[in-house]
Amino acid sequence: MQRDLPPGDLSTGALPPPHDTRRHARDWLRANLPDHMRTDSLAWRSPTLDESRDWEAAMHRAALAGMTWPQAYGGHGQSLREHLAVNKEIGALLMPESVGSIGKELAGPIIMAVGTEAQKQGFLAPILRMEQFWCQGFSEPDAGSDLARLRTKAVEENGFWRINGQKIWTSGAAKAHHCLLLTRTGTVADKHRGLLMFAVPMDTPGIRVVPIKSIDGKESFAEVFFDDVVVPDSARLGAPDEGWSAALRVLGIERATNRMYRPWRFECELGFLLRALASDPEQARQLQDGGVQRRVGELLAEIDGLKGLVERTVNQLMQGDSIGARGSLTKLFWSESHQAFAGFALGLVSQIGPQSSPLARRARQAFTQAYLFARAETIYAGTSEVQLDLIAQRILQLPR
Amino acid sequence: MNATPFEDASAGLRPEEFAEAAEAAIADALNQAPEARLAVLGAAGLFGVCADEASGGLGLPLDFAVPVVQAAGRLRLRWALAEQIVLARHLPDPALCSALIEGRHSASIACQGPIGRAWVGHARHAGQAHWMLVRSTDETGSQSAVLLDLAHAPHQSDAALDPEEPLTWWDLSAAPVLARLDAARTEALWHDLEILLAATAHGAAEGALQAAVSHTGTRVQFDAPLSSRQAVRHWLARMKLYHEAGGAAIARALQRNEWGQARSGRTALALNLQHGAFIIEKAMHLHGGMGFTWELPLHRALRELRAIDAALGAGSLARGLGRDFIHQQTEAA
Repeated sequence: MQRDLPPGDLSTGALPPPHDTRRHARDWLRANLPDHMRTDSLAWRSPTLDESRDWEAAMHRAALAGMTWPQAYGGHGQSLREHLAVNKEIGALLMPESVGSIGKELAGPIIMAVGTEAQKQGFLAPILRMEQFWCQGFSEPDAGSDLARLRTKAVEENGFWRINGQKIWTSGAAKAHHCLLLTRTGTVADKHRGLLMFAVPMDTPGIRVVPIKSIDGKESFAEVFFDDVVVPDSARLGAPDEGWSAALRVLGIERATNRMYRPWRFECELGFLLRALASDPEQARQLQDGGVQRRVGELLAEIDGLKGLVERTVNQLMQGDSIGARGSLTKLFWSESHQAFAGFALGLVSQIGPQSSPLARRARQAFTQAYLFARAETIYAGTSEVQLDLIAQRILQLPR
Repeated sequence: MNATPFEDASAGLRPEEFAEAAEAAIADALNQAPEARLAVLGAAGLFGVCADEASGGLGLPLDFAVPVVQAAGRLRLRWALAEQIVLARHLPDPALCSALIEGRHSASIACQGPIGRAWVGHARHAGQAHWMLVRSTDETGSQSAVLLDLAHAPHQSDAALDPEEPLTWWDLSAAPVLARLDAARTEALWHDLEILLAATAHGAAEGALQAAVSHTGTRVQFDAPLSSRQAVRHWLARMKLYHEAGGAAIARALQRNEWGQARSGRTALALNLQHGAFIIEKAMHLHGGMGFTWELPLHRALRELRAIDAALGAGSLARGLGRDFIHQQTEAA
């Protein structure tokens, strides 16, 4: 039975978001998400890139993506509170992760902060319309979390920039139209000085993409080589140093507000796991185990804490407070808790076989894949150790 | 009646700003002999923060009691403060509420053991209490509760966990009934108690975290403060992470859900018990040999938190949460 729609989300305090935003999100998503894109559906199959692109473009047209971006740049000009309300509904369905996330979560906000008006007009709306994919060229073989060791070099030549170097762990490079590329104008001895960002078209001569196969069998990231790549000055995002400093401020907020659906999706995944086990009489016996029940309860408590962290962040930003490194709290807590859940789920689905119910077999496939992918969760977007360093240094302000 | 120091402080303050006033009152109580603390806490107005104004309380929402019990946890006040606050708010008899608010009587709550069983325990600091609330069922089979007078009830002390503040087991078979709470009042009381016990544990963890940060920031080994070492920094950061998540869960439990209903405090309580134990145990570890001594008061925080966990059934809270969610999901399927 469909529950009545809420009178408003009071969980974030202050004014609830307009009823219509959440009602619209729920109704539209449930009416339009194809069965084959729902992880918990027997009709599920891995969506093609075109299908994912079309789905996300449709979400944007339905005012469910680009929520907080200005209308002048293709966004919907809504507040973070409305963004959160929509994210709760996105999290309540097991849909594929975004294939345009680098553009929407990273490149777009940075361009908005440091780009020229021409860059904003040229790049932002196509990102939301899913006409342009982006990749992130930050990490290098010798500079993972430590960008002071960055070597990719940009040299100015008569109004153009010549770029040489190598990037690695570049998600989505093979499909990307543009790369948000971080370079340095001086030498490695300059450390954090002289860093400069570019929006580089991926079809520029001299760029070579070499895919890397990951443990889930996909080739979703790559090495990217830049050999005498020449771009016009109009590809530069901000001035040296200034652009990167502004980008860091933007990234602090983005880390805290991207993928706010995660705790609600986490809860949804847990529900799917339990329903799938319950659908098979033999597997359902696991649910009578006190240890399993206790672990489910602990996960629910962690999910609740995670929801609280997300809602607190939105409240603080809505009140104009600075959140500093607090995005690290959410990222670290989610990634470690979700990774532990993936291990727990793998244990429960490991006894499901050909004789088991169809939904149980679907769950075995989904959670085995989730377990493998979860290895990355404590690595990407800053490892757990980087997040712990940030908490120690910027939140606890411990002596060095 | 003259305004209490707490009433003076409450004018125009936000809930989190109550912490300062509560901390001063609790610090004052801690400087008194144990038998004098009830009067000091009562005079400060701490027991009546959420109680009806007609009974002499401040009539404030539950949010305002959270920083009070959090301060009690942080300062390691050994008193069933959360229990007395919720009883002063939910008892049906204004005279009984007034007695609790003014500190003329003290009370605790047994989290397990229905009336009729010979021995009832799992009530925090019941050895100091005059009254005890015990779970019961009414004639329709609904959950209810009764407030019993402990004056002449036989009891035994159990010092296994805490020799200074032993757990007390009570034979309440002949204890006089002072008040009966119907199902609605019982449910409301239990909701508030879960949140305030979560905040108590949260405060205890906060005190331990502060102690660990302070100690490792000033204790120099190998020519540098301990907290300049990455291994130590990462433990402290993880303790901070778990503490923040616990606080966020409490804040969330205080807000109504998407359907306009009060949220259960069970998940916040489960999380704060789980994280609180981790934080306090790790704080003791980071103090080195000092962490194992009686002199360092962190063991008091750990005993207090473990007593709450034991009162609730040592892990049965999380198991119950899981069982209910499994039932909900399988019903939906």
